[in-house]
Amino acid sequence: MKRKVLSVLLSMTMLAGAAVGCGSAGTQSAADQLEAEGVTQIPAAQEETKEETTQAPSESAAQEEAQGIDLSDQVDLVFYVMGDAPQDEEMVEGAINEKLLEKCNATIDMQFSTWTDFQQKYANEITAQSADLIYIANWLNYGQLASSGAFEELDDMLDSVAPDLKALVGDANLNMCRVGGKIYAIPNTWPEYVCNGVKYREDLRAKYNLPVPDSLENLEAYLLGIQENEPNQGLLTVTTEESQGLKTGFDAAWALNFKYPWVANNGLDYGLAANYDSPADVYDYWYSDDFVDDMKLMKKWADLGFWSKSALSDTNNSDAYKNGLCVAEVAGQNPNKQITAIADFENAGEGWESGYVAYGETNGIIYPGHATQNGTAIVRGCKNPERALLVLQTLLCDDEVNALMQYGIKGTHYDVADGIYKNIQEEAGETPTFPYEGFNTWNLRNGDTKLPQRTDVALQEMFDKYAVLGEKTKFPNVNIYDGFSENYDTYSAERSAVSNVMRQYLAPLEAGLVDDVDAAVEEFRSKMKEAGIDKCREEYTKQWQAYCEEYSYK
Amino acid sequence: MSKDMDYEPTVQKTIKKSTGTKVFEAIAYTLLVLGSIICVLPFIIIVSGSFTDNTTILVKGYSLLPRDFTFSAYQTIFRSPKDILQAYKMTFYYTIVGTGLGLMMITLTGYVISRKEFKHRNTVSFLIYFTSIFGGGMIPWYLMYANVLNLKGSTIPIWFPALMSPFLVILMRTFIVGAVPDAITESAKIDGAGHFTIFFRIVLPVLKPGLATVGLFLALGYWNDWYRSSMFSTNSSTWQLQFYLYDLLNATTAMKQMASNVSMKTAELPTESVKLAMAVVATGPVLLFYPFVQRFFVSGITVGAVKG
Repeated sequence: MKRKVLSVLLSMTMLAGAAVGCGSAGTQSAADQLEAEGVTQIPAAQEETKEETTQAPSESAAQEEAQGIDLSDQVDLVFYVMGDAPQDEEMVEGAINEKLLEKCNATIDMQFSTWTDFQQKYANEITAQSADLIYIANWLNYGQLASSGAFEELDDMLDSVAPDLKALVGDANLNMCRVGGKIYAIPNTWPEYVCNGVKYREDLRAKYNLPVPDSLENLEAYLLGIQENEPNQGLLTVTTEESQGLKTGFDAAWALNFKYPWVANNGLDYGLAANYDSPADVYDYWYSDDFVDDMKLMKKWADLGFWSKSALSDTNNSDAYKNGLCVAEVAGQNPNKQITAIADFENAGEGWESGYVAYGETNGIIYPGHATQNGTAIVRGCKNPERALLVLQTLLCDDEVNALMQYGIKGTHYDVADGIYKNIQEEAGETPTFPYEGFNTWNLRNGDTKLPQRTDVALQEMFDKYAVLGEKTKFPNVNIYDGFSENYDTYSAERSAVSNVMRQYLAPLEAGLVDDVDAAVEEFRSKMKEAGIDKCREEYTKQWQAYCEEYSYK
Repeated sequence: MSKDMDYEPTVQKTIKKSTGTKVFEAIAYTLLVLGSIICVLPFIIIVSGSFTDNTTILVKGYSLLPRDFTFSAYQTIFRSPKDILQAYKMTFYYTIVGTGLGLMMITLTGYVISRKEFKHRNTVSFLIYFTSIFGGGMIPWYLMYANVLNLKGSTIPIWFPALMSPFLVILMRTFIVGAVPDAITESAKIDGAGHFTIFFRIVLPVLKPGLATVGLFLALGYWNDWYRSSMFSTNSSTWQLQFYLYDLLNATTAMKQMASNVSMKTAELPTESVKLAMAVVATGPVLLFYPFVQRFFVSGITVGAVKG
């Protein structure tokens, strides 16, 4: 008998072994099954139950906020956001849930993607439908995900459940979140200018009485002046790092933005361009005479020694400016980076000063970030979409809850002095357990109540300046380009061929590391034709024009 | 082993080295020394960099000996040692549980499919082997643990999926077939031993090199894994050490990249020297541990190969 029991045990171990060994095969069939059943029936993971039921909701408060939906059952929601969790996650969550139980009879559990593999995990999260509320952004393919049905439509619900939220965000912003005519996301309401520009050393400029580098000529004069006075000083640390897309191949080429009032920095993809005032009129840049002139300028700069001869193979040193290895940066420099540079120079204590000129100040085209840059959506399959929207409304519109969410607990984590946010632990020299926007909820920034940090004062001054400039454009303060998402399924082969040609031929051209510019341009152009640029351009233009049509950017 | 030791000196004494041998040895030693230097240098640079001031690294580059000696990187890491110690603890936990259970399951499975009296052993072997060629892919795997078994956030999906691998099962089976002749088990059977007695008292004692090999594979796999934490952890207190460190680096890159799109804080990111110090902290225990097991490791592989 004993022997039989033992052999049964033994074979069970073996079976278990087979099960683990065949793990992936097993999941395959399970997944098929799921698909057949309709994935919506997967139960949402509810791991936050530990916080529930301790607080009985106050009936009257719940009634007040109810606005026609049934709040009698408590709902536990999962809110998926990017990045890492703050140390005091549970403490702040507890405080928020206390309020949410009172106001919407709901709790939230924040879940974090971490920064490892976050694109993949974000996609998994949407496939698994285990979250209810989720952070969205254009860099997380909001447009594509929305059109493939990843999120709940919010149009009707906004009117019935969250009119306050709708009023706060405003139609203009909501319209930018439309995909195929439907709203799928609620943007944050803080207008943020993420324009690009040139960061330069104001102290050196003043010392040698050089012009402010606010145009190609002045940038050249500024760099030449420093070269003359301090021959050993590095000028530009430029690589191919900030130019990995389909627009430019080398960082120094960003400076050309001074010259062109394009709808986006560096123009459109595939060497196309369109002016901001007439976005639907797409024209050609790479095959134009302007391009040849620009490349000759780049060669001139390279010959003058503005950057290293090995610039093409150098790895990006993002701390070069901070450590005084270069005197200007031209690629990927937004106002926020200027603010960081000011703080860095202050800490370094060498008497350095950082100055900043946005390209838009010279070419006249400046606009805040697109609404889909930071937003919140409700994942399709969410069991209580209405409650989720109500919670979202509370998180954004209720000042008390919003402050908890963004800054933590007042008195423990932060304090406000003269209307400015102050992190208590940071001031005391400790590592903050809940830093500013500790949940990484950039999507819950409320423009009306957002507490500025000390550095934000200077940032806001820059924004105010840009807002005035932005008012004067044809589409006042509207970011046209960033709402567009290209669908390249039908020409992905040509697209990657084009990208390769850019690495191989455009980058050295833009880095001025060719002997004969005209010949190199010709070679680049013919290689582009071979790679199939025409097909890419044709499809891209079609999609882009349809996009301009849809949102009436004419 | 000891037999070889006895022979060697006598061989060396009787045969005088020819010039050819001497040249060969000179070349071989030079190459080997060069090879070891190539292997050791990066590690020395890592250690030296971790003791160097961060600005010095950026301005002057890496060096063999630290230029501006400082402990600041280690101070940064151990300023709040709670997180890193927790990650250490969890990694030890996963490694011990995973290796222990994994060894048990792999050995038992390997034994069963090595027994001739088990009729369907080839079918079962094939089924196990089959999964190493065709897999369902990452997403079904993820959905299985996250949605069907609802284990996301617990520690189980971090150690469970790696308990067995077809490669290790086959390795163990081959090893058992080679190390335990049928005659022995047969005679034990005649003496009245059951499967369990045969396994524990006859098979297991001769499996030591095999156990060491498979155990080391498993343990190294667990020690170096970060992916399952990345997929299934919802709380940093369950993170593996490697994921803790990897994520710190990823956070730096991601945030720098993001900073060109969004206003966000980029301060407080690990500096070069901190990254290097982390590498030292992460690899330290393995470096200490490896030489002791390596003996078994090498003999295990060769024994398995020769006899299998």
